[in-house]
Amino acid sequence: VAPPAQALDRLLARSALGDRRAFAELYQASAAQLFGVALRILRREDWAEEVLQECYVSVWRHAREYSAARAAPMTWMTSIVRNRCLDWLRRPNPEPLADEALEALESEAAGPLALLESGRDSAALARCLRGLEPKQRQAIALAFFDGLSHGELAQHLRQPLGTVKTWVRRGLARLRSCLETQ
Amino acid sequence: LRLSDASREKLAAEYALGTLRGRARERMRRRLREDDALARAVAAWEARLAPMTEAVKPVAPPARLWGRIEKELQFRQRRSLWKALGLIASGAAAALVVVALLLPLQRAGMPASYVAVLSDPKTNQPVLIATAQRNAMVLRVNTLDPKIHVAGRSLELWALPRGAQPRSLGVLAGERSDLKLVAVADRSLGDVPTLAISLEPPGGSPTGQPTGPVLYTGPCVKYW
Repeated sequence: VAPPAQALDRLLARSALGDRRAFAELYQASAAQLFGVALRILRREDWAEEVLQECYVSVWRHAREYSAARAAPMTWMTSIVRNRCLDWLRRPNPEPLADEALEALESEAAGPLALLESGRDSAALARCLRGLEPKQRQAIALAFFDGLSHGELAQHLRQPLGTVKTWVRRGLARLRSCLETQ
Repeated sequence: LRLSDASREKLAAEYALGTLRGRARERMRRRLREDDALARAVAAWEARLAPMTEAVKPVAPPARLWGRIEKELQFRQRRSLWKALGLIASGAAAALVVVALLLPLQRAGMPASYVAVLSDPKTNQPVLIATAQRNAMVLRVNTLDPKIHVAGRSLELWALPRGAQPRSLGVLAGERSDLKLVAVADRSLGDVPTLAISLEPPGGSPTGQPTGPVLYTGPCVKYW
């Protein structure tokens, strides 16, 4: 169960003031969720661990820049982790996902979406995702959960690059207008 | 170069989803630092997609990870924040004494008992001075750098007592504010080694604790 945003807000604010105990609590409350996100994108525990270390160091150092008016605390930290994971995958010695790994994604991509129905925000998002064309939905889920680039999506879905780009673009546009009417 | 609404939206969505890669992603990073509308569009997309992360199964990281983080941040051996601030304070102590003496003598005709100088950690420049008489219930705040006041947001002053939650001292009203203390300065500032300013929504923090970025901090010293 995710800790309430307000509690995390306060822990972040206290961390910004140099309170190590609050930072330790923040870590306790968020590490498993963030490790799950990193592991899902990187698919290697040692990489996920290294990325998470960098991210928490960065959260401590930049806690002052966090603004509750702009983002929920977990959203802010998740974005730091996701961005760092994507940077990690772009390192000069890339070990691209093996074909088998890509194949394995197919069955999993549907899994997380089914879980979305629970929360209220997530139920709205799940409804809107269900309203997309299956191809658009699959492309967006693979990009978000697994960190696939357009090129990897094209390879995995066996479609021309331009086609998957269009699926993603149109899917996102539809998602936004759907969420606005919820 | 300004972005059209449509391309801003498209870039923000793809950046938040993670499909913007390579040089486009690097350009986007640079752009985000300067283009506030773009940064807001990205934040909006991150918020829209955020519920998807709830669907990712949490996995407990190895227990050693926290130890590695603590080590990198030098939590174990580094001086505490309070001591670090104390060092800054001693460096600034001479300046503080001068400031205290030069401050306009207050109502009672006596120099201030409590003096706090808050500075900007990025520039190390003092931006604000707060003073109080030991038996008075007023904290007088003078802005040294008028640029710190921003339209549409409030600056809130906090007391950071030893080992306790921050206490709000009030929202600054302008370049000179007289903030009413809940008790005489000896009681309300006696155990407060540090003051801090956070950026808050208009009217101050809605939660009673700092919610915005902490912009300025500085030692609060009792002189007599």
